[in-house]
Amino acid sequence: MTHSFRTVHKNFSLARINTIAGNTLLELIRLKVFYFLLLFALLIIGSSAFMVNFTFQEQFQVLKDVSLGAMSIFTWLLAVLSTAMLLPKDIEDRTLYTILAKPVPRFEYLLGKLLGVLLLLLVATLLMSAMFAGALYLRQQMVIAATLHGVSPDQVQEAIRAIRAETFTASLVPGVVAIYLKAALCAAVTLFISTFATSWIFTILISVMVYFIGHIQSTAREYWLASGDGSQLAKIFMFFVTLIFPDLQLFNLVDDIVAGNAIHLLMFWKTVGLGVSYLGVYLLAAYFVFANKEL
Amino acid sequence: MTTPAIAIRNLTKVFPIPFKRERVVAVKNLSLEVEAGQVYGLLGPNGSGKSTTMKIVLGLVSPSSGSTEIFGRNSTSVESREDVGFLPENPYFYKYLTGAETVRFYGKLCGLHGAKLKDRTGELLKLVGLEEACDRRLGGYSKGMLQRIGLAQALIQDPRLLVLDEPTAGVDPAGSREIRDLILDFKSRGITVLLCSHLLGHVQEICDRIGILHQGVLVREGKLADLISIENQTELILEDSSPELIEEIEKLILKSKARLVEKRKPQTTLERFFLEVTGGKP
Repeated sequence: MTHSFRTVHKNFSLARINTIAGNTLLELIRLKVFYFLLLFALLIIGSSAFMVNFTFQEQFQVLKDVSLGAMSIFTWLLAVLSTAMLLPKDIEDRTLYTILAKPVPRFEYLLGKLLGVLLLLLVATLLMSAMFAGALYLRQQMVIAATLHGVSPDQVQEAIRAIRAETFTASLVPGVVAIYLKAALCAAVTLFISTFATSWIFTILISVMVYFIGHIQSTAREYWLASGDGSQLAKIFMFFVTLIFPDLQLFNLVDDIVAGNAIHLLMFWKTVGLGVSYLGVYLLAAYFVFANKEL
Repeated sequence: MTTPAIAIRNLTKVFPIPFKRERVVAVKNLSLEVEAGQVYGLLGPNGSGKSTTMKIVLGLVSPSSGSTEIFGRNSTSVESREDVGFLPENPYFYKYLTGAETVRFYGKLCGLHGAKLKDRTGELLKLVGLEEACDRRLGGYSKGMLQRIGLAQALIQDPRLLVLDEPTAGVDPAGSREIRDLILDFKSRGITVLLCSHLLGHVQEICDRIGILHQGVLVREGKLADLISIENQTELILEDSSPELIEEIEKLILKSKARLVEKRKPQTTLERFFLEVTGGKP
């Protein structure tokens, strides 16, 4: 018998990871997860109903606040809900057996799954950003049209410049990147939890807890340190909480964007670095648990 | 001496019970070899350790002690799986993929791509008789079709060893017969098959050798023909024999020290009868 279809095994293969990532993305798309975008569109349209008596600065602020806030929540929900079921479903359906019975290292399987979710989050973030930009542009045109009636011809250019400066501010891009990174980090945390969790409900519950701890830990830490009555044990506890749970508040740039504050580039890149590092750490932690898991 | 397809040496697997001091011994000091080209039946009641043994062979579960090898390579190494195709019991592949997409997915995992992958996918879909259903999503496949697509994915990288866990479970007699014929076809192509099944009739028809596990211990092992033949009995099946000839034989038996244990008309199997009635291939 000839073995013409046999290939040489590689210890690490981007093609295999790509195959698993592509399949994960396809799985999530065919589960029709993008229907939530309709909800996002409705939210943006709905927010316009409250803007009748606002100044144009306030109108842009409300639109940015609602849209970026919704993007942050939706990407997080998408990250947790889509990641939580990936591993348990593959185990329950025994699909995981057929994949790992092929020459596929467990690390590649996990990385492929995570990359699939990250791709989904990227597509979702881009689509929501496009919808947000479209809504912002429409609002800008409406404000310009309304302003042209009320100002003298020599002030038109100045008024339009002022409106445009308030619409697409430079801080929007880092704000959206931070939203994506936070969701990606939450996906990695969820993947890690799902490697040892007994059910996907448990995975989701723990992921939600991590999300809240991640958001309140900086406030709690500051309060604790400011009060000055923390014992040595409490300090050690706080240190481990800070170490294990990423400070998700760092990724929240929405307030600064809405207030019109400039985002410091160095601070932003530090946040990106921290997010990517935590993502890598959680992926590795997931691998160490999954590598020894009895299937 | 050729390298065995599977070599299991002093294999023991103990599962601790969480939050208790008790432990479950799933497999106890198991040693056996499956020669290349054989169809080997691993039998045993539920909970006897068959699935655990198979999972250890496939590297899905790690042994507590002992070792398993596939064509001389330790099962714990990922490379050993180049030589294996696996069909688990009641598999549910990705329902959102079509038959062809499923086979291609597994092919890509094994490093196939381009024309090679396309050719192999087409070849296997034809082999398992799913050419016409290849563009339908698996969500609409019957149980038998799922088992056949499972066989196609197991064969994608042209493995030398197939591990099949209850390949005919839940499949109707016609589908079951087709899968059995496919296994015999694999054997004729030189592929080694490790088969776990509760359907002993099927095992008897296709296996060269069997091992029986009971409570994690290998209680019997050997050539099927040797294990089930009754040494002090002989079976004669005559066609178109006259009553006189039968009478003559019976007289000869009476004159000898032998004893006529049973005289009866041979019967076809219920499966054969079912397939004839329903128009299937007997």
